[in-house]
Amino acid sequence: MVSGTVLSAVLDNGNTIEYVFTANAPRGGMKHTFFTPDKQYAVQFFNDPRNAADPRIQDRIRTIVGIYNPTISEADGGAVGNTEKTAGYFRQRFCWPIAIVRQPQFGIVCPTYPQNFFFGADASTVLNLKGKDKKSNWFTGRNRKYLSPGERGNFRTMLGTAIGLSRTVRRMHQAGLAHSDLSCNNVLIDPRTGASVVIDIDSLVVPNKYAPEVVGTRGYIAPEVLATLGMDFNDPRRALPCVQTDLHALPVLIYEYLFFRHPLIGPKIYDPRDAEHDDFLGLGELATFIEDPKDTSNRPPDLNVTIQSLSKGLEELFVRAFVKGLHDPSERPTAMEWERELLRAWDKLVPCANPQCEKKWFILRDPLNPVCPFCKTRMHGQITQLIFKSEMRGRKGVYRDKSEAVVYDTMPLYDWHVFSNVHNDEKANTDISAYIAYYNGMRLLVNKNIDGMLSPSGRLVPKGSAVELKNATAFKMTGGENGLLCEVVVS
Amino acid sequence: MSDYIRRLPVYLLLDCSGSMSGEPIEAVKQGIKTLITELKGDPQALETAFLSIITFDSSARQTSPLTELMLFKEPQIQAGGATALGGALKVLADCIKNEVRTSTATQKGDWKPLVFLMTDGAPTDNLDDGIDALRQVSTGNIIACGAGANANANTLKKITNNVLMMNNLTAGDMAQFFAWVSSSIKASSKSIDAKPGEAIELPPPPQGFVIVP
Repeated sequence: MVSGTVLSAVLDNGNTIEYVFTANAPRGGMKHTFFTPDKQYAVQFFNDPRNAADPRIQDRIRTIVGIYNPTISEADGGAVGNTEKTAGYFRQRFCWPIAIVRQPQFGIVCPTYPQNFFFGADASTVLNLKGKDKKSNWFTGRNRKYLSPGERGNFRTMLGTAIGLSRTVRRMHQAGLAHSDLSCNNVLIDPRTGASVVIDIDSLVVPNKYAPEVVGTRGYIAPEVLATLGMDFNDPRRALPCVQTDLHALPVLIYEYLFFRHPLIGPKIYDPRDAEHDDFLGLGELATFIEDPKDTSNRPPDLNVTIQSLSKGLEELFVRAFVKGLHDPSERPTAMEWERELLRAWDKLVPCANPQCEKKWFILRDPLNPVCPFCKTRMHGQITQLIFKSEMRGRKGVYRDKSEAVVYDTMPLYDWHVFSNVHNDEKANTDISAYIAYYNGMRLLVNKNIDGMLSPSGRLVPKGSAVELKNATAFKMTGGENGLLCEVVVS
Repeated sequence: MSDYIRRLPVYLLLDCSGSMSGEPIEAVKQGIKTLITELKGDPQALETAFLSIITFDSSARQTSPLTELMLFKEPQIQAGGATALGGALKVLADCIKNEVRTSTATQKGDWKPLVFLMTDGAPTDNLDDGIDALRQVSTGNIIACGAGANANANTLKKITNNVLMMNNLTAGDMAQFFAWVSSSIKASSKSIDAKPGEAIELPPPPQGFVIVP
């Protein structure tokens, strides 16, 4: 058949969809892809016709497209409890299959990735990347240097990318689904904005359904999966992709986003005779975290910025994931823990005082030693922290910490900084409620859109007015129901 | 940190004998160009693949030494002369010996090289000498592609188990061959260590190409 021929496929619901045949169609491990003439949808078929014909595979994919689908509201046949708002949110973050192809053979239809996940003409001056998809490793490996600075983002947008990814993985895991092949190839990112999209959803592991025969991608396969790869698929000792193996791949990606290096690939030689076997051991049975606090055998000599340059909470999660959890899957932090700690770290981001700093932002770990870990520039001036506290139910006047933030000029605050029952997640309203302004030597918290904000002395702060942030003062973000108390600490 | 990244050495052995004159050799030149462009667009290939070209006619030579893709310069090639396939294999063996880094106790070695051989005729020199030389070095997959009516599958089978035949020597077929080489390199650079010692799974060859069992 000639490339460019327009063919027709019949969907499960009887409708037809047209796609353009190409001789060298993009081909992954399991499937190859054609596009509709308007390029809005990808039509994908299995490489191996036996997979396409397997009723167990078809059954699994039907549930993925239907009752497990977080990109369609419950009312429209998607996942239980899914509203149009959350469905819309996850449509931006998953490339989830939306229909089944019945003829000419079993296949799936997915939306194509949003335009911002393709490089534009100005993405690089030395490579022609126009139209290529933004696989994560363009940004985290040595290829990074070939990209225009405008493409590369900064530490803040990369942290945002990590938050978005942990949230999408959390959403899958919440439904009991495992991606099974999370990797630089299956997560596209746009560091300019911190957006990410998870693709290749059809090889998900679905509870109580026949498991997909996916191995994963080099560097992201969980050590126990790699170590038992040679065993028979049905051997009970063989480790197969599951939620816990995703929880290895997820922190590998997060670590790459934050540090531009792989957490397990260091100088250690595991087998000097054979490169393939060396890798098999180094990413599998004998894998060693390059920042293992006790075992330094795989530690590169030139590590400057480490997990200790992040928040304490993130440092602990990385140690759990890559030291205890590396060879004991039950120790690995959940996607929800990653999402929560990354969000906490987000509220401690501050801009670097050095305009030349490539990373632009860093997490302020120690207010008494405010130094950018990347360029070593010290922040000048005082550090103002806000501690948001929620009143314990039924115990008036008794508060516990909900979250903390380090302020900077123009910093936005949202509903989750105002109400104890709102969290920064897919359901939250993302309109700015208040913001910080440095004005005439004062640090102000300006009320943009909060009803009933109170000053430290209990007076109403109307919208458009501000509270000055003075050390050891406290005020209610709103006197209304579920309002948080904000304590100010200046150091 | 990049010191710890292993290289994937890729050798292309290209027949430039007289019978390749005209459209076929032009298609080969175009194929190399496209191959480089394609691989530069794939982040894993760009990071790991290093490319070398060995051409052969009445004799064989390394036209482009093993080079990272960003620095690779297309070789000047022309068609003429006989088919020194045995000589080409000897040159390949020497290049692998000299260029491919082996692991030591302190340095990560390269991946096993990936070799693509394309020829349109029968060897005119001593093939067995070349095969013997090649046996002395460690290679990963060698894929031999016989192009056109004069290529002999049985001869190629002596070199490797992976033999493809393409029926014609048209520009279209040649373009498909290079596209397939490109997807094979991309696939290898991704899945390279999945199972040590096992053959790399290459994508199915294009339509019109026959795998010789």
